[in-house]
Amino acid sequence: MEFYLGLLQILGVHTLLGLSAYVVLLTGQVSMAQAGFYAVGAYVAAMCTAMFGIHILPAVIIASVSTGILAMIVGFPALRVRGLMLVVATLAFGEMVRMFFFNFRWQIERDGKLIGPNGAEGFRAIRFFPENGWETGDVALFIWCIVVIVLGLLWWVDNTRAGAVLRAVGHDEVAAQSVGLNLTTIKVAAMALGGAIAGIGGGLYAHTVTHIEHGVFGILLATFAIAYPILGGLGSVFGTLLAVIFIQGFLVEGLRFIGDWRSLLFGALILLVMNLRPTGLLGERMSPLKTLFSRKSPVVTNAKETQ
Amino acid sequence: MKLKNFAAASIVTMMAAMPALAETTIKIAGFGASSGVVGIFGQNSSAAMQAAVEKINSEGGVTLANGSKAMLETEYYDDRCNAEEGISVLRRIATTNAAIAVGPTCSNVAEPLFGILQAKVDDAGDTGLQFPIFTDVAIKGGLAGISEWVFRNTPSEATMYDDLFAWLRATYPDTKTIFGGVEEDFAHSRFTWYSVMKAAAEKHGFEVVGEGQWLLNDTNFSNQARAMRRAEPDIIAISAHPFTTCGMLREMDRQKISPKVLVGLTSSSSLETLTGCANEAEGLIIPTSFAPVNDAAKYAADAVAAKGGALDLHSAAAWENFMILRDVINAAGIEGTAESLQSDRRKIRDALGALDTVEGLLGTNKRLPDGEAVKPYVFVGAKDGGWAVVHNPGS
Repeated sequence: MEFYLGLLQILGVHTLLGLSAYVVLLTGQVSMAQAGFYAVGAYVAAMCTAMFGIHILPAVIIASVSTGILAMIVGFPALRVRGLMLVVATLAFGEMVRMFFFNFRWQIERDGKLIGPNGAEGFRAIRFFPENGWETGDVALFIWCIVVIVLGLLWWVDNTRAGAVLRAVGHDEVAAQSVGLNLTTIKVAAMALGGAIAGIGGGLYAHTVTHIEHGVFGILLATFAIAYPILGGLGSVFGTLLAVIFIQGFLVEGLRFIGDWRSLLFGALILLVMNLRPTGLLGERMSPLKTLFSRKSPVVTNAKETQ
Repeated sequence: MKLKNFAAASIVTMMAAMPALAETTIKIAGFGASSGVVGIFGQNSSAAMQAAVEKINSEGGVTLANGSKAMLETEYYDDRCNAEEGISVLRRIATTNAAIAVGPTCSNVAEPLFGILQAKVDDAGDTGLQFPIFTDVAIKGGLAGISEWVFRNTPSEATMYDDLFAWLRATYPDTKTIFGGVEEDFAHSRFTWYSVMKAAAEKHGFEVVGEGQWLLNDTNFSNQARAMRRAEPDIIAISAHPFTTCGMLREMDRQKISPKVLVGLTSSSSLETLTGCANEAEGLIIPTSFAPVNDAAKYAADAVAAKGGALDLHSAAAWENFMILRDVINAAGIEGTAESLQSDRRKIRDALGALDTVEGLLGTNKRLPDGEAVKPYVFVGAKDGGWAVVHNPGS
């Protein structure tokens, strides 16, 4: 059980990471900066609990607000460029954040021990959960409560005018602008929201692993962040969740027993899925549940209506 | 008649197999990186564990609390040198019938992994995982202090390099300057240069005239080598794992850089370095806690080779860990049943914690109260495609 509860924790934090990229992708922007926001969230939340004894909940909120503001600041100049240039710009930001933490030292003494970020050595003893009597199941439940809230919030946004606006910008910027939408505001808002979600994910991640260091928040993590929503499909927030379960649950954990072949199969299976489902596991826009479970296909129904 | 013979043979076979089926087994899990860039370390450890289990079982296995014998079994789990995966692997191992785990390979996995364990035994307020770990490879200094459930059988690099630079000072009195090359993004190599080698060199009067940094995945070392050439040091110390050590040595060879003394990282005193760049590594001196210098070490090296691995200072520790655990299990009086699993784990932890000294392949290993070890060591040098002992401080 311990293992499955631990796996739930991993799935939870990766879902948040994927959702942070999902929001930005809705506006048609590919951001490689999510790993950077995730790193900032991890360090900020860890500093709050380990160095200043703040409870995990306000710590995660502080991390989220900090990364949201940072994402907004980064968003203004970064979103002036598009396509591959934006990928390069956000990638550079992610690397800048990683190198910052590579050199960042700030330790204070608590209970006779030095606690805090120690440059390349990382940040050790982020032990809020075990030190406060949280069992593995409690942590998994806490993480998933947050994931469900974020998923629900995004699902709700997706089904409101705000969601339609985000998608409109993503589908055709010129058309969106022609109907009076302010592209910069919308893109920066999406970036800020994505940053805030990445901050929450990072904050939770730091507390599940108890030790963080710059190397974790590299290009590979940034690639995973955008891979989740792309593989899952941008039709629904649940696509990201499905992709996280597929990658972390099946490809990483499920195939562990095949050793070296796992890395090879990992890429091959993702390629296969992308070929079979080019618009992601759940497609561009998820069909309503009643259509999914209906015996008649929507095409046939429409044909009859036409007759 | 044929059917009768077949039935009789089947019954005899089944009866012969029944005691084996009913035999109690004690599982010791192994885990670490057996794939990826540093996968060779995990593969060697895995081979050493299998060889050690085969030897222990051929000698009768281990003795349980009721006096009965039990066989050992082992299974190796790959964490790909990734912290999140390492934690997941440990949680998986903890849900199996494993009494203890030996691993991990990477220090960047060990540090978070030890953090999820209960920090102090019997601390009711700490809900960390209560599972004993006996580390073989992850060598970065001072990690066992993170949790009382952690024990390490890794050598003290601080002691070894301090002794090495003292020996260099005495053996090469005309050497005065040193240049440090460091694989910057790997916890062990970085820690060893900045906190161990550099400090030891300065302590023994060597002047650090420059530093060059590179990353684990780098393949071009020309700038760092040029900096070395400009600094004209007497000694070049390379704190890097075999892959980039070889890359650097080849570039040094290309740029015709030949210092009076070449010093390497403990983890590079392996077959991989010689396989990758035997000619360029000629003369490279490294302190190591393993070399096949006696019969026991030679036997272990052959046994591991038969399992497809190579015995170096890391995999030798895996072998030693299993031998130590055999004695610990014999002394701890574990029951080996599903019901006693948690208490067996605790007994093994306590018995490991009570050790003062243990016998290793090179001699007596001293166990420290914080779970660390002080192991005998030798200085080896690369010579004619092999490692030769250039100095044995214990002799």
